[in-house]
Amino acid sequence: MFETTRRELLKLAGYSASATLLSGMLEQIAVHASGTEKLPRRVVFFVQSNGMNPNHLRPEGVIAPKNGKMTNDTLVEYSLKDRKLHKAFEALSPFQEKLTFVQGLSGCIARSDHSANHGCLGACPANKGPMLQTIDSAMAYALPKGIFRHVLLGLGGRPDTTMNYSLSAEAAGKANPIVCSPALAFKSLFGSVSEGEGRTAFQQKTNLLEFMKDDVRRVSNSLTGEDKEKLDQYLQAFENLHTRQQELLAKAEILKKNAPKLGEKIKSDKSSLILESQIEIAAAALISGLTNCITFASGGGGQQFGSFPEFNLPDLHGVGHGNAYGRTSSEECFVELRQFHVKLIAQLAKKLQDVKEGDGTMLDNTLIVYLSDSGESHHPNLREWPVVLLGNLGGKLKTNGRYLEFPCYESKNHRTMAALYCTFLHAAGKPRDKFGVADPAYKLSDQSGVVKELLA
Amino acid sequence: MSRFHFATFLIWLGGFQALCASDQNTLTQAQAFLKANCIACHNEKKQLGDIRLDDLSLDLKKDGERWGLALNQVREGLMPPKKSPQPKVEETREFVALVAQAMGTRPSKLPNQGNLIPHELLFGKPTSEVVPPAGRLWRLSPENYLLFVRGLSRGGVTGLTQPFTLVPERGIKDFAGLYSIDEPSTEILLRNAELIVHAQTLAKNDTVPEFKKLMDPELVPTRPQIESAIQLQHRLAIGKNATDEELKRYYALYEKCCQSASRPEALRTVLQAVLLRTDAMFRMEYAQAGKILPAPELARAIQYALGFKSDSQLFNAASKGELQTKEQVAAHIKRILYDPQIEKTKLLRFFQEYFEYHEASRIFKDKPNNWHYDPRVLEADADRWVKYLIEQDRDVFRELLTSDRYFVNYTLTMNKQTRKEEPKQTVPTPMKRDDKTKTYYTIPSIEENYGINKWSAEQPIRMPENTRMGMLMHPAWLVSWSTNFDNDVVRRGRWIRERLLGGTVPELPIGVAAMVPNEPHRTYRDRLKVTRAEECWKCHRRMDDLGLPFENFDHYGRFRTEEEVLDLEATEKNVDKKNKPLGPVYKKLKLDTSGIITDSGDPKLDGPVKNPRELVEKLAQSDRVRQVFVRHVFRFYMGRNETLADAKTLQEADAAYVNSGGSFKALVLSLLTSDSFLMRAEPSTMESKK
Repeated sequence: MFETTRRELLKLAGYSASATLLSGMLEQIAVHASGTEKLPRRVVFFVQSNGMNPNHLRPEGVIAPKNGKMTNDTLVEYSLKDRKLHKAFEALSPFQEKLTFVQGLSGCIARSDHSANHGCLGACPANKGPMLQTIDSAMAYALPKGIFRHVLLGLGGRPDTTMNYSLSAEAAGKANPIVCSPALAFKSLFGSVSEGEGRTAFQQKTNLLEFMKDDVRRVSNSLTGEDKEKLDQYLQAFENLHTRQQELLAKAEILKKNAPKLGEKIKSDKSSLILESQIEIAAAALISGLTNCITFASGGGGQQFGSFPEFNLPDLHGVGHGNAYGRTSSEECFVELRQFHVKLIAQLAKKLQDVKEGDGTMLDNTLIVYLSDSGESHHPNLREWPVVLLGNLGGKLKTNGRYLEFPCYESKNHRTMAALYCTFLHAAGKPRDKFGVADPAYKLSDQSGVVKELLA
Repeated sequence: MSRFHFATFLIWLGGFQALCASDQNTLTQAQAFLKANCIACHNEKKQLGDIRLDDLSLDLKKDGERWGLALNQVREGLMPPKKSPQPKVEETREFVALVAQAMGTRPSKLPNQGNLIPHELLFGKPTSEVVPPAGRLWRLSPENYLLFVRGLSRGGVTGLTQPFTLVPERGIKDFAGLYSIDEPSTEILLRNAELIVHAQTLAKNDTVPEFKKLMDPELVPTRPQIESAIQLQHRLAIGKNATDEELKRYYALYEKCCQSASRPEALRTVLQAVLLRTDAMFRMEYAQAGKILPAPELARAIQYALGFKSDSQLFNAASKGELQTKEQVAAHIKRILYDPQIEKTKLLRFFQEYFEYHEASRIFKDKPNNWHYDPRVLEADADRWVKYLIEQDRDVFRELLTSDRYFVNYTLTMNKQTRKEEPKQTVPTPMKRDDKTKTYYTIPSIEENYGINKWSAEQPIRMPENTRMGMLMHPAWLVSWSTNFDNDVVRRGRWIRERLLGGTVPELPIGVAAMVPNEPHRTYRDRLKVTRAEECWKCHRRMDDLGLPFENFDHYGRFRTEEEVLDLEATEKNVDKKNKPLGPVYKKLKLDTSGIITDSGDPKLDGPVKNPRELVEKLAQSDRVRQVFVRHVFRFYMGRNETLADAKTLQEADAAYVNSGGSFKALVLSLLTSDSFLMRAEPSTMESKK
C-alpha cells in the first residue's frame, strides 16, 4: 500500500514544473520505489579504435579456428576458471569470474573501412551519419538518470581534438559529442566544488545562466515555426545548465570527496595521460552518482585512430598496415596498446569494486562493455565482432567467467550485434527485440530477439 | 496547351504566392499519376521497398519527404520499373512539373538536394520577379564563429574550442535550416565567452582599453561607465548598440553579480552575456515586406557571406543609415570584393566546398618508396591555383575545368633582406638512405605527382601535353575522390552528375553492401562490371561512365596509360626450388579511358568521350554546366537550396558572370545584391527591427 502511494506521489512530483531541480534524484528514487529494483545500475561502453584481434580474447587452451575463420554451427563455451588469459588481457585477471569474452556476433550492416562510426554502437550502416539512437544512449535512457544522463569522455584522433561526434547518437541526426579534453570534462563535472575564486565563478555562472534563460526566452517568444524550435533548443540548453548548477550544489559534499586529483596531468597533450585522466574522471563521475552511463572512446570514428608517440607508436594506421616501429611485428604494437587500455578498464573496475553498495560493491551493479569501432581488425569484415563484458548489471546478465563463441555467420543459429544490444536493453528493464538496421545479407534466420545465453 | 505546359507556364507568370496557396490543388493533380502508376505496388497491403504512397496527404510539411522521394524516382526514370507498364513521356513530365512546382516554393532542407528542382524550370525562360524567402535564423558556421571572435579582440584568444560543427555530408554544408545550438555546444560557448572576455580585460596585451580601465578593483564605476562598456561590447559583437530596455537588464545583472563578486568580475560576467546573445550566435534575417534587411543585420550578413574580419566603412554606413538602398549595398560589396587588402576567406572556401579537393589528406594511402607523396601539399597547391584564378577573375569556371597550368609544390616565403615574398619548393627534393650501402640518394618530390621533372619558380607551370587539365585532373581532386587503394570511379561520376550536370542520384539503399570485388588480377574497369547487374545499373548508369575516363590516373593522381594488375600465371610459377612462393608478379594492361555522357539534359553534351580531357572540354563548353555551377554558388552564399522563386536571381547571376567575361566576383556581387539575399517575405516582429 505504502509503495503504491509513494509511487503515485513521485510520479506526480516528477511531472510538476517545480520538480525540475530534483528530477534526476526523484527518478532514481522512483526506480527504487517501483519495488523491482534495489540499487542503481550502471553501464560503461569502452570503445577503442583500430580493431580488436579475436585471438586476444582466447585464453589458454582455447584454440583459434583454422585460417582464423570460425565454422561452428552451435555455441562453443568454455569456463574462464583457472585459465590464463591472453597477455593482452592479463590486467583483467582479478576480475576473471565477472568476465565474459563474446566472439562470433556479426555486424556486417556497419561494414566500412577503418571504423563503423555510429554503426558500431548503432548496429546500422557506417557511413550515413547518426541515423538512429545508439545503444549507449538507449541505455542512458533505460537506466536511472544521474545529474548527467549520459557522460561521454575520451581521446580524439589527435591530442588537441576536443570533441568527437563520430560514435554516439541520441537520435537520428543528433550526434553526441565525446569530450576529449580532460580539463573540459573536469570543469563540467566537478567545477562546482572548487574553493574560493572557483566558488565565486560558480555563482557568477549561475547568474549568467539565469540571465541568458530570460534573454533567449524573450526572443523565442517573438518567433514561430521552425525558427522558434531552433531557439527553443538554445533556451533548453540554458535551462538545463541552470538546473544542473543547482543539482551540483546540492551534491557538493559528495563531489568534493570523490573529485579526482589530476594535478598537471589534466593539461597533458600525451594520449596516454589524457586517457588516464579521463578514466579517473569517469570513475569519479560514477562513484559520485553524477551519471549511470558512460561512453569512453580511445580514438574511433572515421580515421581517428589516436596516436601514442610516447609508446613509440606514432601512427596507428601504420600499425594496421604492418608497421612494427622497432618491434618484431605490428602484432606486438597491438598487444601493447591493448594492454594499456585493458589496464585502464581494470583500474576503473577496481575503483568501483572498492565502493560498497548494498550487500556488494558498485561493480556488482555495473556492466562494462569493451569493443572496437573497427570490429575484429584494422580493415574488418565484421562477420565476427569481438566484445568483452565485465560485470553483470546487478545480476541481470550471465557473465560469470565465460568464453563464448557464437555460431558463425554461415550458420542459421548465428546472432548479430543488434541482438546483443537488445539483450542489454532487456537487462536494463527496457526490453526491445529489434535494434538498428537488420543485415540484409544474412537470410538464414530471423535476426530479432536477444542473445538468450547471456540473460540471467 | 497540354497540362504540362500549362503547369510550367503558371510558374513563369510569377504568381508564386498564389502557387503556394494552391499547392494542394497541384498535388491533387499529381495524385492521379501516382494512382495510375505507383499505388498498385505501394499501398496498404503491398509496400515494395517499404514505401507506401496511397496514403500521401496534400500536406507537404507532413509528407514532403515522401513526395520528394516519389518525384526523384519518377524524374530519374527509376520508377515505375521497366517491367511495369510505362506512363507516357508527357505524363511523366507533367507529374514532375506539378510536384516540383508544389515543392519548389520551399527549399529542400539538405545539401545535395538542390538539384531536385529541374534545371529547365529555373533557366528555361526569362522571369521577372523574385519572391523573397521567409525570414530566418542562421546559426554561425564554425568559420564564421572564428570571424566573430577575431572581431572582439585585437589579439588572438588562446584556448578556445570550436563549439559548432557541420553535417558530415560532402558538399556545401552551411545551410541556415540545418543548425541550432544544443547543450554541449552551449557549454563550450560559455567557456569561450569567459576566455574571450578574459583576453579583452585581463591579458597584458591586446585588451580593450575601455574595459581594462574598469578592471581596477578599487574603482567604483558609475552607471554610465558600465553602460558605455556594454555598448562597446555590443558594437564589437553584433555591430549595433543595445536598446534602453536591454541596457536596463544588463545593469540589473551587473548589480546582482556585484552581490557575490567584485565589480570587475561582475562586469566581466555582463560582457560575457553579450557574447551569448541570440543575435550574436545567429544571423537574424528578418525584414519588413518590401524592404531590405535592417542595416546592422545586413552588414553582418555581408561580412559572414564574404568572410572578412571587419570593415569599419561598412559598419559605419550601417550605423549612419547609409545601407538602406540596393545601390548603397552594392557599392560597399563591390568595394570590399575588389579591395586586395581585405582578405575574404569565403571566395576560396566556396571552391573548396564545391570541388571538395580538401579531402585528399583524409584518405590514407601507403607511402610510396620511390617518390615523396604528401596530400597536404597537393591541397595547398590547388588552393594557390584557385586563388590565382580568382585574382585573374577571367573565365574563372572554364579555367578551373580546362586550364593545364598548375602551381606545383609551390610556396611563398618572405626574403628578410628584400622584404619581398619569393617562391620556393614546399618540399625540397627528399634524401633517402640505403641501409645496405649506407649511402644517400634522392627521390622525386611532389613534382612526380604532376608528371613533371623539374621544379620552376615561374608558376603556374604548364603540364605535359595531353596528360591533365583542370581541377578534375588535379592530383588533390583525384586523391580526394579515391579510396585507400583504388580510384573511386563511382563517386567521381556522381560528382560530375550532381555538380556539373545538375542531376541527381538516389542514395545507396540501406543494407546494400557496395563492394567492388577484390581481384587484383583484373583492371578496375573490369571489376566495376559488378554494377552492371540490373538492380544496380539503374542508378550506376548515371555515374560509372562519367567516372571511368579518370582511370587515366592512378589513385595517387599520377597520369598513366597502363594499369598494373596481378599476373596470376606468372605468380604461380614464381617459386623457388622447394616450390615455395617467391611473391606476386605484376603485368601491365593497356587502359581504356572512354566514357559516355547520358541523360545530361543538354543534347549537345550526350555521347561518348575518348578520355577525361575530351569529357571535361565538352562539359566546359556547355551553358547548362555553367548554370549548374551558378546554382551551387547560389547555395553557398544563400545558405539554402534554390527554389523556383529564385529563378530571376539565378538568371541574373548567370548573365552577370557571362557579361563580365567570366568574373567570379561579378557573379558573387550579383547574388549578394539580389532580392534573394537582401529581402525577406515575412514581416518581422523582432525587437531589432524597430
